[in-house]
Amino acid sequence: MQYEENIRVALAGLTDHKFRSFLTMLGIIFGVASVISMLSIGEGAKRQAIAKYQDLGVNNIIIRDKQFTDQELEEVRAKFSQGLSITDAQVIKEVVPGVKRVAPQAEINTDVKYTDKSSKSTIIGITPDYIKMLNFQTDKGVFINEDHYKRNLKVCVLGAGVAKTLFQQQNAVGKMVKVDDQWLEVIGVLKSKAVFTETVGELASRDLNTDIYVPLTTFLNRFSQENVLASQVQQITVQVESSEKLMEIADLIRGILIRHHFNNVDYSLVIPYELLKQEEKERQIYNFLLGAIAAISLVVGGIGIMNIMLATVMERTREIGIRRAIGAKKSDIMSQFVTEAVAISITGGIIGVILGVSLSLTISLFTDVTTFIRPYSVFIAFGFSVLVGISFGYLPAKNAANLKPIDSIRYE
Amino acid sequence: MLIEIRNLSKKYVMDDVVVDALKTIDLKIEQNEYVAIMGPSGSGKSTLMNIIGCLDTPTSGNFLFRDVDVSSLDDDTLSVMRNKEIGFVFQNFNLLARMSSIHNVELPLIYAGIHKAERRERALKAMDRVGLGDRINHKPSELSGGQRQRVAIARALVTNPGILLADEPTGALDSKTGDEIMELFNKLHQEGNTIILITHEQEIANHAHRTIFIKDGLIHSDKANLKTKDIQ
Repeated sequence: MQYEENIRVALAGLTDHKFRSFLTMLGIIFGVASVISMLSIGEGAKRQAIAKYQDLGVNNIIIRDKQFTDQELEEVRAKFSQGLSITDAQVIKEVVPGVKRVAPQAEINTDVKYTDKSSKSTIIGITPDYIKMLNFQTDKGVFINEDHYKRNLKVCVLGAGVAKTLFQQQNAVGKMVKVDDQWLEVIGVLKSKAVFTETVGELASRDLNTDIYVPLTTFLNRFSQENVLASQVQQITVQVESSEKLMEIADLIRGILIRHHFNNVDYSLVIPYELLKQEEKERQIYNFLLGAIAAISLVVGGIGIMNIMLATVMERTREIGIRRAIGAKKSDIMSQFVTEAVAISITGGIIGVILGVSLSLTISLFTDVTTFIRPYSVFIAFGFSVLVGISFGYLPAKNAANLKPIDSIRYE
Repeated sequence: MLIEIRNLSKKYVMDDVVVDALKTIDLKIEQNEYVAIMGPSGSGKSTLMNIIGCLDTPTSGNFLFRDVDVSSLDDDTLSVMRNKEIGFVFQNFNLLARMSSIHNVELPLIYAGIHKAERRERALKAMDRVGLGDRINHKPSELSGGQRQRVAIARALVTNPGILLADEPTGALDSKTGDEIMELFNKLHQEGNTIILITHEQEIANHAHRTIFIKDGLIHSDKANLKTKDIQ
């Protein structure tokens, strides 16, 4: 029953001094809004990172051929290393325990043409295992299978970007494209993939959508590298059975490769899972800082509430005295003023949530920063604002409750 | 016995000086008495009123209300006492300005924990008793001084308290309205209420059946009013 009265009085207080209440709330509004938008920016970045590494495969170890100048390449070859080869891939598959699949790939950069249109592209020769290891999905048609591979078929699968440049809205499947000096039949088109904007180890940032995939057998027979000294394959992707043994297996692979390459380190290992974990750790600190800064503004908002509540208690000394004279206990006065503080912070919190959510939606709509609002961040921000209201309303409420009824009833 | 005060004293410390507001007071007030407490300002009558009204506790001595020693009660119990047993009527009405008169009258019942329907019914009845049944939704600022004092009296009556404690109830009213308020008190006394008036006006005190005169913290005189036919 007192609660009902407390809420009535609190709401009456808010509406009697609308502008003052709004100013008091402002601190809470900005605090909650910044907590929500900061957390949503952090969460957006995290999700983007996870998506990126998932594209590389979290159970994969990627062995990349090192980029050398012609002179360096000659030196390495002079020291007997042949560079990454299909043999390396076979050895890893046979010798290392816990390896599920191994996929070598060869690459050249060249132009691909269809009628009068042309696109700069990376031609990648792959084995049929490839699609099972990477997060690739075909939009139309099929991916390269065992049959294409064994029979050296002159077929290719286009990345979404290439398909768009060459065919626009037309269906590319079944059409013939000219790659280098070879005619290949398009058997499938991949779904669009996230653009790789960061360099990860030896994996240079690039647009995966401009890739064209052909069977590795076809690639080795039909295409040749510009430099005759170039390695046979440019990348070997190793998929392990579980991510727990990633580091052990990576060490084993390093041991094998260094022997096979006669102590020449002309390759490098990229472990997406490890990079992901590392990045997550760094981001955690960053996110924590963002949240803490936003939380400070909430506390400042709380001090604003306390300030105005202290003034309100002074202003309403006589009211408190009257209420005490007709039977209000200290605890009744106390809860009345705490309720008022909480009413301010809840109202501010609700406006803050609306503002914060629209702010983060606006950010992701009008900038290239990705944001993602997790429900828990809304609850945290809102809950924290209520907590601020209670804790900063406590002192003024206590002052109010401790006023002596005799003195306060005569207060002018 | 409704009120029994034994050997009561009250000291204040003001700027390092001890002030004896009440020295030794012995006083008994029975159920359904109509008592006026008189005295010049500074005599201690307000202090006595605060103690009787459970707003303050004595320095020494006893104040028994219905045989319960109030001087030893804690703050929460004093609040309950004020709520249930004391109906205050103040010189300057002390209504809450932002609330309608009916809500002002309901307020003591809210603190008594009485639920809404009963609260409203009792408040309406109290407003009827003071003759303001048609003004329930007016705010104090929309009422005349006499009407405000009537709302305050309704608020004091609504809990059916043991005593009505009126501190200069006509002090802020013109004499005609003051007379009307005093007539209301007479009526309430006839209906069985115990009334204690604190005043410095002889004319107001004459309405009571007994006058206690306080001077320098002591009871100077305590006598039945002449015009009273018969007490007890």
